[in-house]
Amino acid sequence: MFSILFTKKPNTYSKVIGLNERNINLIYPNNPKKHYALADDKVLTKEVLHQNNIACAKTYAVIEYNSDIKKAWDLCKQHPAMAIKPANGCGGGGIKILKKNAHGNWESSGKTISEREIFQHMASIIMGFFSLGSHDRVLVEECIEPHPFFHEIYPVGVPDFRVITLHHRPLMGMLRMPTNKSDGKANLHQNGVGIGVDMKEGRLLEVYDGRRYMNHHPDSDFLVYGAPIPYWKEILEISVATAKAFPLNYLGIDIVIDANKGPQIMEINVRPGLGIQLVNKMGLKEVIAQAI
Amino acid sequence: MTLKTNLKTALFLLTILAIISIGFKIPPVFQNYDNFNSARVYQVNYRFFFKSTDTTNISLKTYVPKSNSRQRISKEQIINDNDLSFLKRVEQKENTRAIWSIKDKNAYHSIDYSFTFEGKEKWFVVPKTFSKPTHVSKEYLSPTANIQSDNTLVDNLAKELVKGAKNDKEVIQNIYDYIYAIPSAPIITLTDAVTTILQKKASCNGKSRLFVALCRNLGYPARIKGGIILETITKRTSHAWVELLINDTWVPFDGLNNHFAYLPANYLEIYQGDQSLITHTAGIQFDYIYEMNKLHHVSFLKMSSQELHNLPGFSLWNLVDKDIISLSSLYLLLLLPIGGLLVALLRNIIGLKTFGVFLPVLIAFSLSHTGFVSGMVIFVSLIVLIGLISYPFDKMGLLYTPKLVISLTIMVCVILIATHLGIQNNIQWLTKLTFFPIIILTISAERFSRATVEDGYLRAIDKLFQTLIATTISYLILSWSWLPSILILFPELILLVIVFAAFLGRYIGIRWVELFRFKPLLLSERNI
Repeated sequence: MFSILFTKKPNTYSKVIGLNERNINLIYPNNPKKHYALADDKVLTKEVLHQNNIACAKTYAVIEYNSDIKKAWDLCKQHPAMAIKPANGCGGGGIKILKKNAHGNWESSGKTISEREIFQHMASIIMGFFSLGSHDRVLVEECIEPHPFFHEIYPVGVPDFRVITLHHRPLMGMLRMPTNKSDGKANLHQNGVGIGVDMKEGRLLEVYDGRRYMNHHPDSDFLVYGAPIPYWKEILEISVATAKAFPLNYLGIDIVIDANKGPQIMEINVRPGLGIQLVNKMGLKEVIAQAI
Repeated sequence: MTLKTNLKTALFLLTILAIISIGFKIPPVFQNYDNFNSARVYQVNYRFFFKSTDTTNISLKTYVPKSNSRQRISKEQIINDNDLSFLKRVEQKENTRAIWSIKDKNAYHSIDYSFTFEGKEKWFVVPKTFSKPTHVSKEYLSPTANIQSDNTLVDNLAKELVKGAKNDKEVIQNIYDYIYAIPSAPIITLTDAVTTILQKKASCNGKSRLFVALCRNLGYPARIKGGIILETITKRTSHAWVELLINDTWVPFDGLNNHFAYLPANYLEIYQGDQSLITHTAGIQFDYIYEMNKLHHVSFLKMSSQELHNLPGFSLWNLVDKDIISLSSLYLLLLLPIGGLLVALLRNIIGLKTFGVFLPVLIAFSLSHTGFVSGMVIFVSLIVLIGLISYPFDKMGLLYTPKLVISLTIMVCVILIATHLGIQNNIQWLTKLTFFPIIILTISAERFSRATVEDGYLRAIDKLFQTLIATTISYLILSWSWLPSILILFPELILLVIVFAAFLGRYIGIRWVELFRFKPLLLSERNI
C-alpha cells in the first residue's frame, strides 16, 4: 500500500495534477479573484450568458427582497414547472424543483407543497440559510427536461456534462449521473457516477463509481461504453463560447441537454474538482501538453 | 516580475541574516550542553538567627542537601557573622550536616546558608512482587521509639491491610491508601506511629512514621526521608516522606501530597532517617526561615541567567528574565508560528482535511493542560455531544449566526455543569474542561454537525478523525519540552518559518492523500 508513497519522486513524471498544482498553476494565474463572483453567483453567470446569447435555462424571476416574493410568484406560477435556487448556494443546497400535478397543485420531490411553504423556502434563501449567513438572492428558472438519451441509461434525476476548459480550449469532459444510492443527485461525492468522455469522437467511455470501472451504469443494463453522445459538436461549441464570454481562463462548465432545446449551460465553476482525471483514467497534464 | 524578484531577494537576505545570527549562538550553546535536564531551578537560603546565653559551647546543627541522580546542588555559600567562631561539616552515615559552634556569651548571630537547586521529577516502577532484599541494614526493619513497628496496634492494622492483597505491590498500595486517607492536620507536637493511629489525623511526620512502621512490621525495609518542598515563598515548614527499598532501589512515597512512587521536581531531598532538620543547644533564643526563589533557566544548558544575557546575537532571554509577560503566554506566542507551519505541512504535503485551519494547533495547546488521553476523549465527546444537540436546531431551519449562538451557549452550559459535577464529586478530569477554547470548540462542533447533514455521518467522522490525527501530531511536536527554550534562544527561527512557508506556498507536488486517491491512475501510468 505504501509503495506508491515511497517510490522515488512519483511526482516528477506523473501526469496527474493534485490540488497544490491545480491551485498554483491553473487557478491562481488564470482566474483573477475579482471575477470569481461571476461564476459563484448564478444570477451574475446568467446575465453574462444572456448577454452573449449562450443557451441556458430561461430566467423566470430574480428575487432580492422578501417584499418581492409575492409579486414574482404571480409572474412565475403560470409555468408548469420551475427550479428555485439560491444564487450563491453551495453543494446543491436549497435547490427545489416545482411541478404542477394533474390537480393543479404544486409538487416537489414527489410531495405536494403549498404556496406558503414555497414562500418560506424563498425567504430562507434570501436570509442566507443556504449561503453561510450572507444575504442572498432567489433565482427562479425554467425546469430542464433531460434528453431521452439519458433516460435509456438511467431514468431518474438530471445528469450533466462537466467540461474543463483552459484558455477557451476544452480539455477533458465527463458525464455525471445519479444512481439509486445518490438520491437524484449527480455529484460524485454523493454516490453519483462519472462517465469518461472521448473528446474527439464524442463517445462515452467507462463508468466510474469511485472504486471500480464498468461498462454499464451500476443500476441499468444499457451498454454505456462507446455510446455516441447526442449534440456533442454543440456541446463543444457552447463550452468554447462560454469560456470566451467570461474573464476566467480555467473553468469547469456544467452542461445539460434539454429534450427540446439541446445543450444548455447550467453553471460554471472556477475551482473544478480533480476527480475527472480518475473518471477519464488520464492525467490533466497529459491533456494540457497535447493541447499546447 | 520585479516584485517577485524583490521578494525573492528579501527572503534570501532574511535567511542569510537568520542563519548568521543563529550561527553566532550555536558554539556557546553546544559547549554548555547539560544532559542533566533539570525541570526546576531554585535559589534556596536557610537563614538562622540566634542569641547565645550564659553557657558556653553553643552549637547549631542542620542537615544540608547533596547532589544525586535527580537533584543537583551547586554554588553553596555560607555567610557568617565575623565573630562566629567556626563551622564544620560532619558526615553522618549518608547525611551531611553543617555545625556552627560558638564560645562567646550573650551575643547575637546570624547565618545564611545558600545554594542553587536544580531538580527533575522522577517516576519509579513498582513491580508486582519484590525480590528478597540483599544485605539490608537492620535499622530499616527495626522498631524505634517513634516508629513502633512491633506495637500491637500497628501489628493489627498491618494484618488488616494485608487482607485481600495478592502481591507485594497491592500490600504497599493498601498501606499507601490507608495513610493517604488519614486527614492531614498541622500538628506541631511530635506524633509517633501509634498516636497517628489513635488520633486519626496527622501531619507529614505522623503519616510518615506510621507508613514506615507498617512497612517494617510486614518486613519491607523502609525509612523516613526529610526535605523541603520548594516554592516561591519564604516559609518555616520542612517536609517528610517515606522511602521503601524495592529491589535495591529506594522508592519514594508521599502519603500527604499523594505521590505514589514519584518525586516531583520541586522536592529538595536533604536527609534520611527520623531526624529534625535543625537542632540547637537548648535554652538559646533561636529563629529561622527558609527563603526560596524560582530561577528561570534553560533545561539543557549549564548557563546562568547572566551568561544567557551575554549570548552573542539576539535572544528573548530578556523577556523571560524580566517577567515582562508571563512565561506561558510567551511560549504560546512563540509556538503559534511553528504550529501554523505544522498545519500547513499537514494540509499541503500530507493532505489532511481538518475542521478549521488552525484548530488542531489550538486544541493541542489545550491538551497540554488536560493531559493527552483525557483531553482527546473530552474533545471528541464535547464535539459529538454538541453536534448531536444542535442537530434539531439545524433541522428547524435557523439562520446561521443565531444557531451558532445556541451551540455556544449549550457548550458553555455543558462545561459549567461538568465542572460543577467534577468539583462536587472530586472527578479531576471533569474540572479540566475550562482549558478548552470554547469558541473554537463550538465552531468545530457546529462544522461537525453541518458536515453530518451535508456529507453524511461517514464523511463527517472521517474528517473528525483527520482532525484528531493532526491534533495528535501537533501535540507531539509542540509538547517537546525543549522547543520553547530553543525558540527563546533562537528567535530567528520564527523568521525562517516565513521563508519556509513561502517555499511551501509554491509547492506543486501531489499531496500524500492524493497518492491514494489517484492510485489507479498513478499505477497505470507506471505500467506504460
